[in-house]
Amino acid sequence: MRFLKSLFKDKLAASSLVVILAVIIIGVFAPVFAPHDPLEVNISKKYAGSSWEYLLGTDQLGRCVLSRLIYGIRPSILWVMAALMLSVLIGAVLGFIAGYFKGKVDALIMRVCDIMLSFPGYVMPIAFVGIFGVGLENILIAFIIMKWAWFTRVIRTSVMQYTELEYIQFAKAAGVNHFKIIRRHLIPVTLADIAVISSSSVCSMILQISGFSFLGLGVQAPAPEWGMMLNEARSVMFTRPELMLAPGIAIITVVFAFNFLSDSLQTIFDPKLMKSKKIRTEKVEA
Amino acid sequence: MHYKKITQLSLLLLTIFTLAACSSGDDAKAENENENELTYAMTKDIGDMNPHLYTGYMAAQGVVFETLVENTEEGIKPSLAESWDISENGKVYTFTLRDDVKFHDGEPFNAEAVKKNIDAVQENAEVHSWIQLSQKITETKVIDEYTVEINLSEAYYPTLSELSTTRPYTFLSPNDFKDGGTKNGVNGYNGTGPYILTEHKKEEAAVFEANEQYWNGVPDVKKVTSKVLPSGETTFLALKKGEINFLFTDDRGANSIDYESMEALEASGEYQVVRSKPMDTKLIAVNSSNEDSPIRETAVREAIWYAIDRKTISESILNGTEQPAGTLLSKNIPYADVDLKERGYDPEMAMELLDKAGWKLDEGSGVRTKEGNDLNVTFYYDSNAPAQKTQAEFIQDSLKNMGINLEIIGEDSTSIADRRKSGNYELLYTRTWGLAYDPESTISAFTDVSYNLHSTKGMKNSDELYKKIDEVMVTVDKEERQSLYDDILTMVHDEAVFIPITYGGMTVVAPENLENINFKQTQYELPFEEMAYREK
Repeated sequence: MRFLKSLFKDKLAASSLVVILAVIIIGVFAPVFAPHDPLEVNISKKYAGSSWEYLLGTDQLGRCVLSRLIYGIRPSILWVMAALMLSVLIGAVLGFIAGYFKGKVDALIMRVCDIMLSFPGYVMPIAFVGIFGVGLENILIAFIIMKWAWFTRVIRTSVMQYTELEYIQFAKAAGVNHFKIIRRHLIPVTLADIAVISSSSVCSMILQISGFSFLGLGVQAPAPEWGMMLNEARSVMFTRPELMLAPGIAIITVVFAFNFLSDSLQTIFDPKLMKSKKIRTEKVEA
Repeated sequence: MHYKKITQLSLLLLTIFTLAACSSGDDAKAENENENELTYAMTKDIGDMNPHLYTGYMAAQGVVFETLVENTEEGIKPSLAESWDISENGKVYTFTLRDDVKFHDGEPFNAEAVKKNIDAVQENAEVHSWIQLSQKITETKVIDEYTVEINLSEAYYPTLSELSTTRPYTFLSPNDFKDGGTKNGVNGYNGTGPYILTEHKKEEAAVFEANEQYWNGVPDVKKVTSKVLPSGETTFLALKKGEINFLFTDDRGANSIDYESMEALEASGEYQVVRSKPMDTKLIAVNSSNEDSPIRETAVREAIWYAIDRKTISESILNGTEQPAGTLLSKNIPYADVDLKERGYDPEMAMELLDKAGWKLDEGSGVRTKEGNDLNVTFYYDSNAPAQKTQAEFIQDSLKNMGINLEIIGEDSTSIADRRKSGNYELLYTRTWGLAYDPESTISAFTDVSYNLHSTKGMKNSDELYKKIDEVMVTVDKEERQSLYDDILTMVHDEAVFIPITYGGMTVVAPENLENINFKQTQYELPFEEMAYREK
């Protein structure tokens, strides 16, 4: 409750949250919100301007841009979030094991992480797509394989910080079961860290997935996806610039919203930052 | 407070003006016009220019290297060979060479050079299997300095037209040979053509300068630069800025800028858009030998044929630049004026064919099934050609209405070529070889595993087809040949293994004051040497 209260005090964060929730709801219930079938080809109406029937006009095959934008939320945002959650989950499990038990397990997990992290970010997905063929699933799998290591490492550090604290040491000495300690004493305190890192990496993931679809490696036509819509609009960039605007603005808005939200989550969870922010605002006002 | 805002505003304006001043569009444009140059954009580097291999860019190879004879609208014409003589039995070709031709390095072009080049090509014959002639040449003899004789194992009627193709029977200065041949690379690119390759920065640009000693008149355009610009938007901006001033359909049949941009350029008054007459057929090759796929059935192939609305593709997607195609080869191609069954756009017919073949559409389901299998088909197209993607999506939508689930996958041209070779495809966007090569090369490619063997292998009378193809190439009598071609074209048409879409050609965007923009009989080359700027 306290968390929501402080979140809503920050107007930017609150509106970001509203935007994100709205986008998610529209994406989940796309068939309700979309005025047309996003795949319906009607070539006689190609490149139609904006009208009441087609609010954002139509594309090169006469398909409704607004409907495509709405259906595009699914691969562009929802699937990305699902992939992110999965890699955070893997990262959390391994991070807790490594950070809590330490020793050989920790060393083993960290070395595996080192190996995974030594690949440059784009090499893995491209190699994966090269072997298993293009498609959103393959890109997402590659991302999960790629990202868990990073999450494991960050979560491990966060867990380690707390395992050194006296009350955990005390619980251990008192003979409390390891899993109970993790559940009762560690998960609640590290959750904030996890929330912050995952919300901040969702932006980069959205951009990367759109980037891959832009390059034609992700979602395959005719399924709508924002990055691919940008790519399709690219060839008519100078004759019909409005076609680039819709997906472009959509991506920017969502990425902004996630960034602002993750920023303010960070300040809410970290009282020290909150104070510095207050001081900063006071200074500016003075 | 106000002052602050004004300062900020003026700073912003200053930045904008500075940025605007930086663009040097007008200067670049002026330069190009003064110096009688052409700069064109292409999506790839010119590659290895070795004229006896296939990795180079044909439009670039075409201006540097020449052939013995040239394929023109009026038939085979002399080029490096002044005249020729064919023996009675059709096995010996004797060429009289021009005596005023020199390679770019000063080396004289003579019978010895011709022999060396043809021998170098023959040494690597398996690479050239697509060109049947490479399997037929037995010996090249030097008769005297300017007479050369080519011996064939059997009478092969397309000899002259195959000698006229952009590669491999072109001539490189023997000084550039490595270890006496060309198959392991060459030391230079000295041909006999109207332009000399003077500079090549890989993945950046190549410069061709006019050959002042050219035997057929020195070209008017003194310098042709080929710049690598991989994406359409940069090409469009470069054209507007004058950084480049020429553009043409590339060797994959793709235009890097869309039709509306071309219209915009034309409307600006600085450019003209010139279109060739149809040169090739854009088509879907069907892998009839794919045992696990519904497309092994003729009825399904025919249904797809009927389900495609070519008129809409031609008018709405291609803006009328390409004409709807009803047959694999357009009627104006030699031997191709054959009476074939019309298959227009007829969705009802398509449905009827599928129903008859046992592919039933159940209530509430979007996809037809037969014996528990769904009617799923995969279609591969070149992901770098936006027009192909739009067509693929359009065809996908049309087929969906018939109850065919078409999956479309865009891949780059190399992996498409691999699929064609390995037969790992169902439908594939492709095209015929073009005027200079049709019908011979397109038809002999039916039997070549690197090209269309997989498409024709599944035909029920494929053995008979292959026999006829072998036969037609060595038939001397013209009427007999025609009747064989009739049979071959009818067989592939009836089996619907090649589904034609449109007849395509070349499109050129050129400066408004450039004249004599002609085309060759092939969509892979342009005669830059004939072009000239109009006097101002």
